[in-house]
Amino acid sequence: MIAAVHHIAGPPIDWKGLSPLLALGGGAVIVLLVGLLRPAAVRERIVPLLTVVALGAAIGTEIWRFNHPGSIIHGALSIDDLGLIVDLICAVSALATVLMSWRGVAPREAGQGEFYGLLLFSVMGMAVLSSSQDIVTLFLGLELLSIPLYILCAAEHRREGSLESGLKYLVIGSVGSATLVYGLAMIYGATGQTGFAQIGSALTSGALSGGVFSDPLLLTGLALVTVGFAFKASVAPFHQWTPDVYEGAPTPITAFMATATKAAALAIFLRFFDVAASSAQNKWGPLIATIAAVTIIVGNVGALGQTSMKRMLGYSGVAQAGYMLAGVVVGTSLGVSATVLYLGAYLMLNIAAFAAIVAVERDAGDDQLSGFAGLGARNPWAAWPLTIGMLGLAGIPGTVGFIGKFQLIHALVDGDYTWLAIVLVIGSMISLGYYLRVVATMWMPAAGTAATSAAALAPIAGAAPSEEELVAGFPPAEGSGVVAPPDDTGVPHPEVVLVAGVFAAASVFFGIIPSPLFDFASHAGAALPGLF
Amino acid sequence: MSPTAWGWLVLLFPLLGAAVISAGWNRWPARTAGWLGTLAIALSFVCSVGALLSLLGRDPAHREVVSTLWSYAVSSGVDGKLQILVDPISVFMILVVSGVSTLIHLYSVSYMKGDRGFVRYFAYLNYFVLSMLVLVLAGNFILLIVGWAFVGAASYMLISFWYRRSTATGAGIKAFVINVVGDVGLVLGTFFIFRHTGTVQFLQTFSQIHHVFRVDSTDLVAGCLLFLVGAFAKSAQVPLHTWLPDAMEGPTPVSSLIHAATMVTAGVYLIVRLHPLFELAPTAAEVGAIVGCATLLIAGSIGLVVVDIKRVIAYSTMSQIGYMIMGAAAGAYSGALFHLMTHAFFKALLFMAAGSIIGAMAGDQSLDRMSGFRKAMPFTFLCFIVGGLALSGIPPFSGWVSKDDVIGYTFHRGGIYPILGVGGELGALITGMYTFRMIFRAFFGAPSPEAVELQHGHLAHAEVPRNPMTGEEEDTDVGFPGPEHVIAEREWPMKVAMSLLALGALAAGVIQLPGVDHVISTFLSPAFTGSKLFHHDPSTGTAWIGLIVTPIVGLVGIVTAYRLYIAAPGSSKRLQERLAPVHTFLYNKWYFDELIDIVVVRPALLVGRLAESVLERIVIGGGVTGGVTGSVRAVSAGVRRAQTGLLRLYAAAVILGLSAIALYFLIVSS
Repeated sequence: MIAAVHHIAGPPIDWKGLSPLLALGGGAVIVLLVGLLRPAAVRERIVPLLTVVALGAAIGTEIWRFNHPGSIIHGALSIDDLGLIVDLICAVSALATVLMSWRGVAPREAGQGEFYGLLLFSVMGMAVLSSSQDIVTLFLGLELLSIPLYILCAAEHRREGSLESGLKYLVIGSVGSATLVYGLAMIYGATGQTGFAQIGSALTSGALSGGVFSDPLLLTGLALVTVGFAFKASVAPFHQWTPDVYEGAPTPITAFMATATKAAALAIFLRFFDVAASSAQNKWGPLIATIAAVTIIVGNVGALGQTSMKRMLGYSGVAQAGYMLAGVVVGTSLGVSATVLYLGAYLMLNIAAFAAIVAVERDAGDDQLSGFAGLGARNPWAAWPLTIGMLGLAGIPGTVGFIGKFQLIHALVDGDYTWLAIVLVIGSMISLGYYLRVVATMWMPAAGTAATSAAALAPIAGAAPSEEELVAGFPPAEGSGVVAPPDDTGVPHPEVVLVAGVFAAASVFFGIIPSPLFDFASHAGAALPGLF
Repeated sequence: MSPTAWGWLVLLFPLLGAAVISAGWNRWPARTAGWLGTLAIALSFVCSVGALLSLLGRDPAHREVVSTLWSYAVSSGVDGKLQILVDPISVFMILVVSGVSTLIHLYSVSYMKGDRGFVRYFAYLNYFVLSMLVLVLAGNFILLIVGWAFVGAASYMLISFWYRRSTATGAGIKAFVINVVGDVGLVLGTFFIFRHTGTVQFLQTFSQIHHVFRVDSTDLVAGCLLFLVGAFAKSAQVPLHTWLPDAMEGPTPVSSLIHAATMVTAGVYLIVRLHPLFELAPTAAEVGAIVGCATLLIAGSIGLVVVDIKRVIAYSTMSQIGYMIMGAAAGAYSGALFHLMTHAFFKALLFMAAGSIIGAMAGDQSLDRMSGFRKAMPFTFLCFIVGGLALSGIPPFSGWVSKDDVIGYTFHRGGIYPILGVGGELGALITGMYTFRMIFRAFFGAPSPEAVELQHGHLAHAEVPRNPMTGEEEDTDVGFPGPEHVIAEREWPMKVAMSLLALGALAAGVIQLPGVDHVISTFLSPAFTGSKLFHHDPSTGTAWIGLIVTPIVGLVGIVTAYRLYIAAPGSSKRLQERLAPVHTFLYNKWYFDELIDIVVVRPALLVGRLAESVLERIVIGGGVTGGVTGSVRAVSAGVRRAQTGLLRLYAAAVILGLSAIALYFLIVSS
């Protein structure tokens, strides 16, 4: 056996650099195997625990490899600070997902081993994607990320919404993947290279026929790749799967998709455009900026008047992706660090909000906004994180959301895209219309008064008081239909509320003391060579 | 420990106090919240003393210490850091603020005991002290602005403390609006300076300005004038003073702490802190001095005719701060800060004594109804006399030395300043008059029914609580003064607080008496090494001329009051009739409220109405809002219509988007 391995002429492998991936992949295999054991106690306790251990090992190795940049496996992966920070974001998000799913429906229905194993594989895909510097590993990572997610979305397979979500994601995701792989093939055809850096130098050296950046093959490829990335990052007009899939998927998985998938997708956006295509920044810059502006407007406007919290956060995630693209647009290391900073901020705020939604959803049965009426009095432990999450996503000072937006605007103004900064600010203004509505719903006292306030709030939000979508007040019947927490002793769903509390506390902490985040993000900005 | 470590602790305790008290707002039994608040501020005072000792242990050349806890946003060219500057000026200020605040907290524990908002009150009060300490310890403009805005907010909350009183909420809003005018001035002023220096830190700014500005550079003068707007609004100087008398709607200890001893002196602190800027912009400094002098005269003259006892003291506060602003702008930094300190003692004392009388009057504040409390309230009377004599600048009380420190400097300074010094002397005359008018009316003469009751051992009770301003019956549901009234004679915490302040008002002057000692100016001098004006003090002999003349002027004022109110009772009425136009003019507070009403409020209202009827309804409502909400609504509907849930339409969108992107690339490349 050992002799056989010796005969394979593989590239030299830096096992240290590969260790986060090994932890995730190995962990996934072990989790799958342990999930086969019969005793329910093992499956329901040991499997999540092993998942947490695997994620912990991944986080540990990521921190260990921090500041040791290196290119491994013949330049297929670049284990640098940008990749590691994004890996870290994905792993932390997965950790929160494990805690949120722990006593939920999804892992029971899908099978514990399968659910958590797929989650780990997906994180591994993200790690591959965010470190890839070659179009082959790029595609590999993307598929490794996506396929487990298609299944996870349908994890609650007895629920129609979940099945629909999974199927939709599969079909649309396949279209996206097909677009991407087609585009990658065209770029390879035009340049004859697969490495990002080599593609970049082929572009600058003018080796292409007809000079730099005029080969239709390359350009079409670039357009297809842009669309493929835009899919994963849910950027308009390729975002339409987002609200549907987010609404239907099990809420912990929605939270995972909203934060981790987005982080990985934006990481590859940054890597591809700022390494492979950085020389043509003046060409693609205006395009990405336009897409970003459209995304900001569409996401924010779409979120107005949504009654499902998950759907609203889906649209909000679209808008946030638009904000984060701003850091890609400028093509500077300041832009890279601003996007990475915002990814971290977005992780904290979104997980805080989603965990609170999970806690409420388990009692109320669905994620309708009306179920949140009076939450402040009923369950302040869930209401506060959600409040902080909403205010932070809107960019209120004192939360990390403000710091993130501040840095994005700084990067935009610094990179001569002031107009996009203005769009970003206008988008944030519109977003207050739906974020504050959630806050108001939670803290407004009684059902009777809440109804009038919501009616008064609607015009401020600028939302159409249109037929089916808008909350037409909260009839008392609906309010009283809310199931009381099963036991009044102690906080219901402690692990979920703990996640919400920790992430909300972190977003306030880093909103007041942001310098560690600035330091982290500037490492990421310095990771890509050749940027200013 | 280093001075800055003490400095951070000074900030920590009020923060903890405010947080702990608010966290348990519905759980604290009896007076626990009050004692906790007092303890927090007392610890803060102890740490201030620690900072003082630690600073004195250092070489005088190294007594300006900066400490940064963390960077908030070092980005876009702004160095925003959480940074404190511990130097003699800030240590002096934290000592005064935390010291006087401790005593006022102690006083409040008794004074507010019947109030239903007891816990809320102490949470607010701790928050106020925190804000004020942030303001004076700030090491850069950003933190200064934060503290500046925080004290404005705290002042608003405490003025409107009895929020079921319409007059109190109105006064709170007025104070807040005028304070925001000042905030805007401060922020804009900072921009003017930052534009040239490229830093927001104080010490770096001061070392930069000589390179980037010349004497009276336009931007520097503009910046300094804007800082003055901030100082005038916070320190209630003409014409931004009208909020201070109304602020007396708050509980009396609040008036004592915020509207006499600490917050309103922030403007003086600002000028002293930014003295290198003002010395390089003498024009702006002169404007400051002139306004200070005008305020001290105008406020003093109004104080002669006002009948509400708290408002008399409020006008007196404005007038005394006028002295400080005049002194700080003229360059009498140690004099201004010294007067700030002694004023904090005797004015806080006067307010506390007034609170005691108001308690005896069951909430009534009118001087017309008070009289003859001398026998009924001997302790309060004694305190009031000590405070009054200190305020009038009679030897050996503290106000005597500190006030003349300012006036004497202006005579010595030359230029326009001696004219302002004459104004200061005139102010001393008025001060004696209004102070003793108040004392003679409240404590002398035939005892009022309440005083007679009290002499028999019964404290007056109001049948129904009434608003002292309007006479309306009060909503007693929440946050009302309470049916229980307290007087200093029966409450030891009040007695302790007042005695200590009385001691300060009596004796604090000796530490800076020319020819005897110069503790204050020696202590402060390391912070003024670059200042030309700081060491420009008059000689001991000259100073003593002032120290003899000014009290004589003050005595003349007291004697005049004596003749009008004691020797020939009723002569004040006759004088009032003879000088009816003057009286009306003063009684209406120089018509400043009306002037502001005509110059600012009415035009603003007119423009507002016009804007409402034309701009708002037609342009904004019809065009902009209608257009914006219409278009947002249309786009929203469009987005939702596109969101059919049908995959084939999503795929179509993908293809359309893709074609657009590919087309774009092909067009830009050709």
